[in-house]
Amino acid sequence: MIQISKREPRLKRAILPALLLLSFTFFMSSCKTNSGNNADESKIDTVLTGTVTAELTTAPNVPKPLTYTSPKKVMVTLETIEKVMPISDSSEYTFWTFGGHVPGNFIRVRQGDLVDFTLKNAPDSKMSHSIDLHAVIGPGGGADATSTAPGQSTHFQFRALHPGLFVYHCATGPVPLHIANGMYGLILVEPQGGLPKVDREYYLMQGDFYTKGKYNAPGLQDFDETKALAENPDYVLFNGKVRSTTGPNALQAKVGETVRLFVGNGGPNLVSSFHPIGQIFTKVYMEGGTEVNHDVQTTLIPAGGAAIVEMKMQVPEVINLVDHSIFRAFNKGAIAQIKVTGAENPSVYQKLKP
Amino acid sequence: MITTFFCAGNAQKKVVFSGDKMVTVPSGNYQPFFITPNNKPIPVPAFKMDETAVTNAEFLEFVKANPEWRRSKVNRLFADTNYLRHWQSDLSIGESNKKIYNSPVVNVSWFAAEAYCKWKNKKLPTIAQWELAAKAAPKNLKYTSVTDFILDWYTKPNPKVLPNVKSTYQNEYGLYDMNGLIWEWTFNFNSFIASKDSRGNDEDELKNFCAGGALNVADKSDYAAFLRFSYRGSLKGNFCIANLGFRCVKS
Amino acid sequence: MKIFIYCLFTVMLFSCADVSNKSAFTGEAPKHNTAPIGTISSESIYQVTDTFQTQNDTKVTLASFAGKPTVVGMIFTHCTYACPRLTADIKNIEEQLKSANGKVNYLLVSFDSQRDLPDQLQKFANANQLDNNFTLLHGDENTVRTLSVLLNVQFEKDAEGNFSHSNVISVLDKKGALVFQKEGLDADPTDIISSIKQQL
Repeated sequence: MIQISKREPRLKRAILPALLLLSFTFFMSSCKTNSGNNADESKIDTVLTGTVTAELTTAPNVPKPLTYTSPKKVMVTLETIEKVMPISDSSEYTFWTFGGHVPGNFIRVRQGDLVDFTLKNAPDSKMSHSIDLHAVIGPGGGADATSTAPGQSTHFQFRALHPGLFVYHCATGPVPLHIANGMYGLILVEPQGGLPKVDREYYLMQGDFYTKGKYNAPGLQDFDETKALAENPDYVLFNGKVRSTTGPNALQAKVGETVRLFVGNGGPNLVSSFHPIGQIFTKVYMEGGTEVNHDVQTTLIPAGGAAIVEMKMQVPEVINLVDHSIFRAFNKGAIAQIKVTGAENPSVYQKLKP
Repeated sequence: MITTFFCAGNAQKKVVFSGDKMVTVPSGNYQPFFITPNNKPIPVPAFKMDETAVTNAEFLEFVKANPEWRRSKVNRLFADTNYLRHWQSDLSIGESNKKIYNSPVVNVSWFAAEAYCKWKNKKLPTIAQWELAAKAAPKNLKYTSVTDFILDWYTKPNPKVLPNVKSTYQNEYGLYDMNGLIWEWTFNFNSFIASKDSRGNDEDELKNFCAGGALNVADKSDYAAFLRFSYRGSLKGNFCIANLGFRCVKS
Repeated sequence: MKIFIYCLFTVMLFSCADVSNKSAFTGEAPKHNTAPIGTISSESIYQVTDTFQTQNDTKVTLASFAGKPTVVGMIFTHCTYACPRLTADIKNIEEQLKSANGKVNYLLVSFDSQRDLPDQLQKFANANQLDNNFTLLHGDENTVRTLSVLLNVQFEKDAEGNFSHSNVISVLDKKGALVFQKEGLDADPTDIISSIKQQL
């Protein structure tokens, strides 16, 4: 018996509202923000599945992407070291550092990890030091627990609640002086699941330096408080030294690769207008956070802030990474380089006869 | 003033003493580094202060007379494991350390410094006394200002061999090396009541302090003073540190 | 109705019994063990032989508190905000440890060598209804500073004779070694209490 025909009009009447309801539900669920992993604590698994020791690297190198899939207790130890090192070809400076270099070691953890942090101060340090990690939610970002006299060590733990690229720096008074002398670095908190895979990752950190003598004056240079207060640096540098990352020290990449840069700005004063000459940032994780912008020529990196940028290597070239407040790049040292090797790609770029 | 000459093989027995020379620091007012709610300067009556920091040679005499303060015997509550680590042994600074017999003794804790001063019928200076004594202008110093000289010393690494006392500068009161050689213990070093993080505007912290928060600083551009107070704030009484020594005062 | 009255009577009896145990402001000195030196460890704060005066004007050294776990706070009686709160926090700890009544020492040491002499301390004890488990101590400047350094308490006297100070509750074991500390006012005392219980 074909009874359907009698029911059909009722069915039809039912289908439309049902469809509407269904599509409304879909609509609402797709409106849920898709822009990455917010720190919804109810979603973070707080059960730790083991202890690991963080791999710490020196700039421009970055620790390997993390492969674990559940939160760990991560052991991190940093040592503060005061050290005279060259700042340029002719000038030396008494740097205060995390780990003996500027910037300090790169720390890589995963959202949800419990970081067990020990700060040591080298026995022959003149000063006491501490640390504030911008990834920490807690008093002073850790500074309250880490006031460390020479030869001593302090200890605290924090949960990496939020993903992102965060600055860390010394927070012992007077804080600007400790930062001006080079006490900063980066800690990456990978989102759950990690960052998308790329071919190479590098670490750069910009900083401004203030010396009594002029740029590249010979000998050991003293810190100049007057210039620092006036925000008038002699040096604006990537990784603490003129030409630290240029020429034979340039970063390396190959045509076809995607390169990711973790870029921090220790300040103490200047904001960076970070630009790759001869390239475009395909992706910018703005301010080191979760929002991603695309196709950006120049991105702002605040003092005490960071950005993650990516580029696709298309042609062989030397990419000059600069602070586009351009006198800084030309006259004060704010240039780093990526040397890209590989086959020419005329469809992207070709010099022609006039 | 007791002076005898060095005798190469006998260096332990005959050393050059700076002696117990003390100078008078006239009375004055000490303006606290941290602004207090009433912000009144603290009057400091005149007092006598050791002309130089206490030297290794002088401290050796103390240790000889007070066995409980020998390196192998001292209680860890009163001096940590770095206590006199630069000496050769309990009762010997060491032949190889001749150069520092008359350098300030370091790697001594607050308790050890207190005990030494008490042994000499003296005391450790209060912060007010020390800061007042240190403020006196230097004689014959080739710097535009004392702050510059101090900052300069603060931002240089520790020297490999600590120079002798009287090797930096003398100030108007006749005191030597108030800056430029070592940090010095004070009686009330543990008065840095601000939270260790020196940036905050901790209105809530008012709960913690009877006489109000002591977080604002009188002169934020006096980086030299800031560094000194931060250093004090990181100390515990039994810490023995390679650039920290002391001198004594008498009322 | 009879049962009700009996119950009421029983309750009243027991509550009276409670009150008589905690006889506040009788002025009796709490009993201390004058412990032989052997019961003080090498980590013990009681190795310091400085003399204090109690609110009853008795001379004591810290060693006389050996034999029981001790809770220590540092205050001064002219303090208007933080010290009453710290005292209340320690009283609250005592309240929660009622079952261990008489087995724990409660010490309040004054920063104020000049003004907090024994009779002033006794006034404070009365005003704050501190019972026999509490001992209030006066010491000279050196004595008090030494104790503050050992207990990691920061303090300073201002031009008016008042004190800025951190607020720390310390727990010492039976031999006088520092086993636990907590900084801050109105803090949750759970971990302090469990630390004391571990020492009993």
